[in-house]
Amino acid sequence: MSAPTVVGAQTSRTGSPARRRPGADWSPGRLARVVTMLFVAAIFVFPIVGFIAMAFRSHEGVRAGEDGFLGLGGMSWENVTYSWSQVNGFGPGGGLFTQWMLNSLVVAGGGALIAVVAALPAGYAMARLRFRARRAMLLVTLVTMVMPNTVLVIPLFLEVSAIGAVGELWPVVVIMGFFPFGVYLSYIHFMTTMPHELVEAARVDGLGEVSIFLRIATPISKQAAVLVTFFAFVANWTNFFLPLALLSSNQANKTVSIGLQELIGASPLFNPTVAAGLDVKLYMPQLALATFISMLPLLVVFLGAQKYLIRGETVGAVKG
Amino acid sequence: MTTDVREQRAALAPRRGTRGATRRKGPHARPGESRGAWLLMAPYVALLLVAGVIPIGYALVTSLRRVPTPVDPSSGFGGLDSFRTVVTDFRFLDTFVNIFAVLVVWLPIMLLGIVGLALLIHASPGRFGASMRFVYFIPGALAGIANFVLWVYLLNPSQSPIEGFWHALGITTIKQAVVGAGQLPLILAAMLFFQGVGSWIVVVNGGLNGISEDVLEAASLDGANAWQLAWHVKLPIIRPWIGYAALMNLAYGFQLFLEPQLLDQVASNAIPDQWTPTQLGYAFAFSNYNFPAAAAMSLILVVITLGIGLVIVFKSGLFSEESRG
Repeated sequence: MSAPTVVGAQTSRTGSPARRRPGADWSPGRLARVVTMLFVAAIFVFPIVGFIAMAFRSHEGVRAGEDGFLGLGGMSWENVTYSWSQVNGFGPGGGLFTQWMLNSLVVAGGGALIAVVAALPAGYAMARLRFRARRAMLLVTLVTMVMPNTVLVIPLFLEVSAIGAVGELWPVVVIMGFFPFGVYLSYIHFMTTMPHELVEAARVDGLGEVSIFLRIATPISKQAAVLVTFFAFVANWTNFFLPLALLSSNQANKTVSIGLQELIGASPLFNPTVAAGLDVKLYMPQLALATFISMLPLLVVFLGAQKYLIRGETVGAVKG
Repeated sequence: MTTDVREQRAALAPRRGTRGATRRKGPHARPGESRGAWLLMAPYVALLLVAGVIPIGYALVTSLRRVPTPVDPSSGFGGLDSFRTVVTDFRFLDTFVNIFAVLVVWLPIMLLGIVGLALLIHASPGRFGASMRFVYFIPGALAGIANFVLWVYLLNPSQSPIEGFWHALGITTIKQAVVGAGQLPLILAAMLFFQGVGSWIVVVNGGLNGISEDVLEAASLDGANAWQLAWHVKLPIIRPWIGYAALMNLAYGFQLFLEPQLLDQVASNAIPDQWTPTQLGYAFAFSNYNFPAAAAMSLILVVITLGIGLVIVFKSGLFSEESRG
């Protein structure tokens, strides 16, 4: 490609101290770039701002259409408390939404915990130990990692159904614990942070393989542990198809992702006949509030993991 | 922590010379090492069996069963009947045509968006570029159902912030917005783009940041302007990432379920109920209770996505990289 030019130019580089002109005039090219980027940013941000505002508005205000730009003028805390009473009043006796949030916490948190406990030793073993089938296991991990996980949902449903556990939370937790991306993250982590020599030295000192992992590898794996937990939690929290297949039959054991679907289905906006039989009224502000609340745990784990995400060497390695 | 490792590394430095030799001893390791490895792998292998291998095997067995009927309630060996049922189903081909229709619109826009925006960000050093990257990433945080509810808000003309746009098209209900001729692939493409482009921008941007400053400086000293720099220097370097993104998103297309399923729900069942292959498999299982056919449908999808997965793993260098460790 342009390699020869580049090499040629590199030699002449020392001759000229000129760098790219920082803060030069607004050339047409620069102007076009900045305007394009701001335009795209607006397309991305406005809907989200409007949507969050929707969670703070009232159905009457929305219908009257007088809440101003993106509905920002119609926001109030009163609306939120009313909407919450409607969202959480859903279901016999109410409180179903809270239950769904708790279920999501159990399956997403439990799944992430299993994922990290399984991923760290497996990633370490594949990165630093020699054994038959090591490459085969790595290949299986990579392929399952890049395949969309929904293709296995119906086979998983058949399996869980065969043992009579459809509608229970624990099979979902176990299945979510299978997180090949986490294994790959751990693998990359130990490849880059734990030198072979360290393992060899520990062996010379008489440590067994499992002890080496527990005493030497585990203490230097905080970065990987946080990343695996974070990615697993987010993937589990937003998983829709697996809970839909395994938990739909049990109203009290639904996760919030499929619970939101049920709220949409009970909205007078889309299903007047069903909605007519309900005590609560779920219009757009209520649906937006439920969605907004359902995203809060993700925000929390994001903030918690942020320091490690930004460091990001591991993630860079993955995609590269 | 890091310093510990570095100190230990430094302490071990003299032994470096022998490293290559010891490492290339081949796969036949000491028995202790092999046993330790499998012990450490055990939890993961158990999960792989429970959540991967056994379900696939069981689906295979199920797919070869016969569907019990009221007349003949036995479910003995049925051979490939269930695969025949699936492939000859009047919806089967349509679901793939539908996926194809979405991919044709979505993939080019997605790739153009990823590469274009990543290049624009890379051309904007400093705070502006970084904050734009963050802004583009935000919609990606709204995954799955949350993104869907957001789109219900956008698509429903009665309260949409782009109400004017819908009215200009003569659309007054969400049903009209969704069912018009050829509109569904466009809407799905928009939803998927909105949700997915941000995280890929971050990935490709990471690739661009890996280009050494010297190379870029050299090229610009050579007289390359920003366009030439992007086109002749940056683009060829990030080509592997673009291929990786294309294939990952292609595989993603085959799992489409949530969006068409729920759009149907908010559009008064105006969309065909089984619009994508995954929906068809779901219908076999949960509407017809034809588990053999549902299993067969899943296996067909497993084979397709496995094929794409293998191409990704071998072509992207994910697998070859590892030997460098």
